[in-house]
Amino acid sequence: MSDTPIIEARGLVVARDGSDIVHIDRFAVQEGEVHVVLGPNGAGKSTLLRALDGLEPMSGTLLYGGRPVRSERDRRQLRRATAVVFQKPYLLATTVLGNVESGLRLRGVGRDEARRRALAALDLLGVDQLADRRRKGLSGGEAQRVSIARALAGDPEVLFLDEPMAALDPPTRRGLLADLERIVAERAITVVWVTHDKEEALQVADRVTFLAKGRILQEGTAAEVLNRPATDEVADYLGVDVWLSGSVVDDPDAGSRFVADDGSSLACAGAYTGPAFACVHPEDVALSLSEPAPGSVSDRNVLPTTVVAIRPKGRLRLVELDWGSQPLQALVTQAAADHLALEVGMPVCALIKAVAVHIVPRAAPTP
Amino acid sequence: MHLILKGIVEAFHLLLSGDPFIYSIAWRSLQVSVPSILIALAIGVPVASLIAQRRFRGRRLVIALINTGMAWPPVVVGLLVALFLWRSGALGFLDWIYTLKGMIVAQVLIATPLVTGLTLAALQQLDPSFRLQILAMGATRRRLFFLLLREIRVPILAAAMAGFGRVIAEVGAATIVGGNIAGQTQVLTTAIVQYTNAGDFAGAIALGVILLLLAFATNFIVTTIQQRSVVATWA
Repeated sequence: MSDTPIIEARGLVVARDGSDIVHIDRFAVQEGEVHVVLGPNGAGKSTLLRALDGLEPMSGTLLYGGRPVRSERDRRQLRRATAVVFQKPYLLATTVLGNVESGLRLRGVGRDEARRRALAALDLLGVDQLADRRRKGLSGGEAQRVSIARALAGDPEVLFLDEPMAALDPPTRRGLLADLERIVAERAITVVWVTHDKEEALQVADRVTFLAKGRILQEGTAAEVLNRPATDEVADYLGVDVWLSGSVVDDPDAGSRFVADDGSSLACAGAYTGPAFACVHPEDVALSLSEPAPGSVSDRNVLPTTVVAIRPKGRLRLVELDWGSQPLQALVTQAAADHLALEVGMPVCALIKAVAVHIVPRAAPTP
Repeated sequence: MHLILKGIVEAFHLLLSGDPFIYSIAWRSLQVSVPSILIALAIGVPVASLIAQRRFRGRRLVIALINTGMAWPPVVVGLLVALFLWRSGALGFLDWIYTLKGMIVAQVLIATPLVTGLTLAALQQLDPSFRLQILAMGATRRRLFFLLLREIRVPILAAAMAGFGRVIAEVGAATIVGGNIAGQTQVLTTAIVQYTNAGDFAGAIALGVILLLLAFATNFIVTTIQQRSVVATWA
């Protein structure tokens, strides 16, 4: 596998009506990786994806396998080597089999070979029994499976996925996501996957690029981006529900310590010192009825708090805590909540590891 | 009332007896209308496709002109065509005035804006991402054109039928450009006018019935196809 990115964009700008929809210095996808472009709606994710596949007028440099993509002919060659699955399946007015064959025929595959590969692709996605059906009678999930089969039938070097799960109901989505993940892993397909769903990103991504207002705010592994948001905007989007405003100072005992504006403090990790927000994910906060004996737990922060509210969040319970003048939240299972017999007004200890206190240098006013 | 009843009875007698003169007029109407609509489709569909896909200066003006053209008074179109085809006119050397060819030119000018406008509207209703999906599959511009046409085949058929209905029922341009010459350029509409003026209500009603039947058949075909097909893009 070469070090040259299979797709690379430099100085890519997509402008519309005089304003930049996408403006990025560099974006690169390595062969074999699943590269998720994550961000809120309207961030320019889909526009970026279309630009990378030569479907969007852009300025800047686009390289495919290290070679520049300049002319319409280059763009068509790029499109024939890759495949796109949009949020909607966009099936042609023909049969399911005809749709998958069309994708191959347009790429210059012969009739018999196209039929053989189309049937194999439908089988791979578990929709071979729909081969003779027309698009009108298909469910949303079936149509999207056909659309993905059409994309995979051509053995694309890069598969572009533009929110392929967004229009599906949760059970359909889970099934398709599992199948797609398996197929991508088995075939080691290079994927550029646009989504606004952080859990989907966490599940599939090798690397994540976070995009907002057409600009890249962070790029890294999924764990890096999700656990160490680079800016308050990324952290805010990724659902860090608790923000503490203050600054980080050196602590001879603890390495670093975040001191909140009201004087309360948390041991934290990292070399940064200066004004900052501290982000604590609710799932990183453990609860205990009594203060653990010194040295009995690895958590460096043991905070006396009071339960303010208990709210359901999916199958979990979100416990809102009052820690001095600062808010804090813990996400616990129903079983844990029952075991602790949590009630509003009762005192509990919140346990937070120093590495779970994410420090975001303060670049903007407190949200 | 007696006059009308008598006319209707005689009209059906003419129709059922297969009167060759009456049917020759109907046949001539089709000889003008069918080629006109085919030429209008050949011009209008590619033009609509170009306008739908390209962004150029004056695009809105062109669309406004097409929409205006959909409601051009046929008699004015007939006048313009006659001025060009008149022996001393710019295209007088063609010698098409008072011929079926001249009438076809006029009918093409009447039908083309209608076909173009309706095709353009259908193309503009397609989700723009549908076009991107076809391009993403590696299609050339030519293949894209034909695949998009397949998606809007029902609206195109409806446009063709609407155009056909307009030209076959049109009388002003047919009279001015064709001259209503019996046995040569006389079509259903112009003949109805002449027969009515001459008090031959039976002939006029017989021709009127044929015209109505043609209009009904056209609309019946369109309605049937529209009910059987739905242009869907997974909206």
